[in-house]
Amino acid sequence: MSTIVECRGVAKRYRQGALSVDALRGLDLQIEEGDFASLAGPSGSGKTTLLNILGGLDRPSAGSVKIAGEDITKLDNNALADLRLKRIGFVFQAYNLIPVLSAVENVEFILQLLGAPPKERRARATEMLEEVALAGLDNRRPAQLSGGQQQRVAVARALASRPAIVLADEPTANLDSKTAEDLISLMSRLNESSGVTFLMATHDQRVIERTRRHIVITDGRIASDERRTRPAS
Amino acid sequence: MLAALAWRNIWRQPHRTALSLASIIVASAVTIFLLALQQGAYGTMEESVLRLLDGFAQAQPGGYADDPDLNKTIAKPETAIARLKEIKAVTVAAPRASTYVILSNGDRSFGSAVFGVDPSAEEKLSTLAGTVKEGRYLGPDDENAAFVGAGLARNLKISTGDKITMLGGARDRSIAADVLTVVGVFSTGSPEIDRQVIEMPLTRFQSDFAMDGGANVVAVGGRSLADIQAVLPALRKAAAEIGLTMRDWTELEPALHDVILLDASFSALLYVSLVVIVVFIILNTLLMSVLERTREFGMLMAIGMRPNQIGAMIWMELLFLAVVGAVIGVAFGAGLTAWFAGRGIAFPDAEILFRQWNMPSTLYPDLNWRSALAGPTAIMLSIVFAGVIPYLRVRGLEPVSAMRAV
Repeated sequence: MSTIVECRGVAKRYRQGALSVDALRGLDLQIEEGDFASLAGPSGSGKTTLLNILGGLDRPSAGSVKIAGEDITKLDNNALADLRLKRIGFVFQAYNLIPVLSAVENVEFILQLLGAPPKERRARATEMLEEVALAGLDNRRPAQLSGGQQQRVAVARALASRPAIVLADEPTANLDSKTAEDLISLMSRLNESSGVTFLMATHDQRVIERTRRHIVITDGRIASDERRTRPAS
Repeated sequence: MLAALAWRNIWRQPHRTALSLASIIVASAVTIFLLALQQGAYGTMEESVLRLLDGFAQAQPGGYADDPDLNKTIAKPETAIARLKEIKAVTVAAPRASTYVILSNGDRSFGSAVFGVDPSAEEKLSTLAGTVKEGRYLGPDDENAAFVGAGLARNLKISTGDKITMLGGARDRSIAADVLTVVGVFSTGSPEIDRQVIEMPLTRFQSDFAMDGGANVVAVGGRSLADIQAVLPALRKAAAEIGLTMRDWTELEPALHDVILLDASFSALLYVSLVVIVVFIILNTLLMSVLERTREFGMLMAIGMRPNQIGAMIWMELLFLAVVGAVIGVAFGAGLTAWFAGRGIAFPDAEILFRQWNMPSTLYPDLNWRSALAGPTAIMLSIVFAGVIPYLRVRGLEPVSAMRAV
């Protein structure tokens, strides 16, 4: 198993006028290929900051972050955009689909940015929608889909480029219990069948119980990192 | 898909887009109509003034324009006429001679500009023959006939059939004197011309003023001013070959040319203001849209879109708006203008003013490629260039702060 994410001494300091806030304080973390991990912690503990840094959306104030062996702290903005496109999949709490594109177009969009030929990207997008059990809903726009369906499209989009890791920020927070359960099952199944690496920042106990690795972050540091051989089913 | 995305984005707020399009359409249509009307008015003004006396161009001896001396003559006007008529657009070339004289009737004397003309050629070139108030125009068999302006006739208290005495300086420095019979009185509507001008047969003029068969200018006419303007280089070349200088209408009527330029400059200010207002409306709408979608742009950056790609998408949205608006605006504006161009627009209240320029009181918009496309193209390009503002704004976004935007 290879290392997908490797953080060493990652710190992030925000300045708010004369004040400075340390969101991360010398954090070390390693995510292995195939991990299905949850990241929990109280509000303000640094979960989202860590996800942003791992996803190349933000830069650390200190320390190094390697994604699939590449130190992303040295990349410029365009290279970070390419990294996000090719190596990272994002799933957001609020789904964040492009409202004017249909489900299949939302998935296809990533592939177009990657320069895939039209036929190939349409086939891949359709395949991804089938994978997340949305076959037949290809041409519906986000507003015509339920919250759970939108989040499935978001998962399909995140996986379309075959990323090294999918980072999910509170993916079930906007979903009802049943839909949230279905989504967790879907992500778990994709992790097991395709070996996709997931790291999910969450407060949702159901997500935490279903992951095989549970990381707790407090005050910008890793407070615990527990691996479970048999998560709750 | 970027283009599809941009196109769909502009229809997210259909009312807002419709209003933006409406402003481009109306502004495009207004610029087309006003520009066509303006060009139509200028064209009518130029042709009316030039057709009255000057002709569309004149072949003159060197220096005649600055100092119209009787001594500056074209020795063999028939040679010049034949050469100029070789140019296809030239339908008529008329020889003229002119000088200043004193005209008297009894104890009344007035200064006047007398033109010696070839009546047959002149009738084809000048509209003066059509402004007869009483009597008739000069005929080919007339000898000592005079065609007199109404103001001059009033001042001299003469009418058709009366005799007037003409006194002036001949080319050979002798006294030129003759008695002319008034065959007609003209009224052009221009007090200046009506008060000062008389015409007489060229042969008599040549004899009275010792012209030795020469003339001072050869005036050139054609189907339209544009036709003559188009062959101006050929006319200049032909004139130069026979030792003459070709003067175009801007040199023959510099005051009119300046008036048109001045009016066009003021109108340009109006058009520029209109374009600026429309650009501000569209830009404001787009900046609002950019502000509203900042969070979405953050998401697009998160999934791997580069800021310059998002900027290009915004620019494309602006381009679509501008192109669609301009195309509809051209269709609407050109259609409306064509309708008026067929019927004309009457300005009955301005009849007296227009008569000063020998113009009719009904104007016809001149719809051509320039009047149809100049305004909408300026609007479209200005909007597209203004797109650099939202483009730069989007380019400066950071993913995390953009995604936090409310």
